[in-house]
Amino acid sequence: MAFEDIPIQRKLMAIILATSGVVLVLTCATFLAYEFSTFRQTAVRQLSTLGEIIATNSTAALAFDNQTDAGEILRALKAEHHIVAAALYDQRGALFARYPVDAPERFFPARPGADGYRFADGHLSGFAPVVQVKGSQRLGTIYLESDMEAMRERFRLYGGIAILVVVVSSLVAYTLSRKLQQQISRPILALAETAQAVSDRQDYTVRARKHGRDELGLLTDAFNHMLEQIQAQNELLEKRVRERTAELESANDELEAFGSSAAHDLRTPLRAIAGLADVLLDARAHLPPAEAQRHLRMIRDGSAQMSELIDALLAFSRLGRQALTRQTVDLGQLCREAFQDLAGERSGRSVDLRLGSLPPAEGDPALLRIVFVNLLSNALKYSRPRAQTLIEVGLAEDQKESVPVYFVRDNGVGFDMKDADKLFGVFQRLHHAHEFEGTGVGLATVRRVIERHGGRIWAESLPGAGATFFFTLSTAAGAE
Amino acid sequence: MALTLLGGAGALARAQTPPTPEYQVKAVFLFNFAQFVEWPPKVLGGDQAPIVIGVVGDDPFGPYLDEAVQGERIGTHPLVARRFRRIEDITACHILFISRSEAGHFESMAPRLRALGILTVADFDGFIRQGGIIQFVTVKNKIRLRINVEAAKGASLTISSKLLRPAMVVVQEPD
Repeated sequence: MAFEDIPIQRKLMAIILATSGVVLVLTCATFLAYEFSTFRQTAVRQLSTLGEIIATNSTAALAFDNQTDAGEILRALKAEHHIVAAALYDQRGALFARYPVDAPERFFPARPGADGYRFADGHLSGFAPVVQVKGSQRLGTIYLESDMEAMRERFRLYGGIAILVVVVSSLVAYTLSRKLQQQISRPILALAETAQAVSDRQDYTVRARKHGRDELGLLTDAFNHMLEQIQAQNELLEKRVRERTAELESANDELEAFGSSAAHDLRTPLRAIAGLADVLLDARAHLPPAEAQRHLRMIRDGSAQMSELIDALLAFSRLGRQALTRQTVDLGQLCREAFQDLAGERSGRSVDLRLGSLPPAEGDPALLRIVFVNLLSNALKYSRPRAQTLIEVGLAEDQKESVPVYFVRDNGVGFDMKDADKLFGVFQRLHHAHEFEGTGVGLATVRRVIERHGGRIWAESLPGAGATFFFTLSTAAGAE
Repeated sequence: MALTLLGGAGALARAQTPPTPEYQVKAVFLFNFAQFVEWPPKVLGGDQAPIVIGVVGDDPFGPYLDEAVQGERIGTHPLVARRFRRIEDITACHILFISRSEAGHFESMAPRLRALGILTVADFDGFIRQGGIIQFVTVKNKIRLRINVEAAKGASLTISSKLLRPAMVVVQEPD
């Protein structure tokens, strides 16, 4: 497996261990090299000191040709275990005395070599002059050979110690690195795990845990922030989908209701027209001209009613397509204008409009005007049986809504609360057409406008006790 | 006048008795003594003053002694070999070999030689007993040394302990 592919924890540990291992080995090697060179120097110094001592002691033995004495002096080297051979040569360079005594002659150089000590074949050996008085005649030469066993022994010990140190340090480094690498790997692993969880389960609600305020902490924060945004956008999208679905469902329901109602409502005048036309066409009837004319007028009224219905339907369907232009609107002004527009419907009646103070609102003035025209027209229509009509428009207080709630109240015939949900459907009429004329599109239009503004409309009533229509132009949550 | 006489005596001695290898060794030993013995400064003289190795009586060394000291130095002191006819003639000398021919005269002169700070050496029997300092003795064909430490002390000489090691040390026998 390539180094790039191994897990970050092992990568970190490998880096830490490799670094500390290299440092350790270099340190040990440097120390051993230094020790080696120092030890060789020391060995040379020690051997030359030893040679000097032996040489000083053996001057008389050489000067007075006493081999026994020389042999005794050399035997003192027994205490120095590392001396494997020693010899004294006389003035003429002949072997004079040797140590160990029983060692074969080939152990010793036949003739003394140049003075000085040197390493050869793992041994340190050399020659030194034997002189009694400095500057005076040389009495002979001493030869010493050390097997450097002490150095080998020392280096075996050092090697052992070095291996032990490396092993122990590596174990310590391993243990430490296991602990310390977590400082870096844990946040990364947590991030990776979170990312994995997100991509595996498409779950954007999980969050990576932050371990510190370093770069990894920043990364974690950024990652979590990203997740938050994705989650928020997801939720927004889901909400939109739900809203659109609901809108579509309501539109669909409306369309179905509209379809059946429209068919039903359009068929009523059509059936009348067809029936009247049948009467006119029946030759046996022999209708008097005045009667025929009344029938024809009724046919014309029926078709006018149909035309009106079709116009209302067209207007209503246009509402759904028309773009909304929002601006600050004076609702009180709109209400007054709508009331004036309805002058025709008020003629010959005593109508009292009590307009409370309305704060400015955001909305489409043309569409909001339709709202007021329809609601006021509705109030006028259902309060016609009253001798004195009272219409109140204002801001509702003591409501649970967090946005302004407007109301339009009349003292008309009211309706049964069990029919409250039918009120705003197309062609949903609670009263018979012969009681109160109308297309059955008005309140549906109002609801559509309110809903397009993001608001809500509802009504409260008791039969005979008048009706109150409440509406808002936005919802607290949807105050976009 | 005296030197001429001495030289003549040496030449005569060499002619009379041809030297043996034994005396070659002894000549080297005489020279070597100079390295192991210390004289009082007043006896030795200045830094450049020679150390004199003298032979009194018939010279048994032939050319060996001259060869042994030829060009040699002990520290700053050059070495010189001299011959004396009689013990009475001796003046400046540091190491003196008393030839067998003078054996009869030695004992009476010993105190005087000690007083001069001379290291007396000989190879005849009874030399130590007569107050000599170092005697050559032959043991198993090897030349060994007998050293009279008391006599050396009497001559104000310091003999290196190293020289005493291989030697047979004797205390002065009563005169």
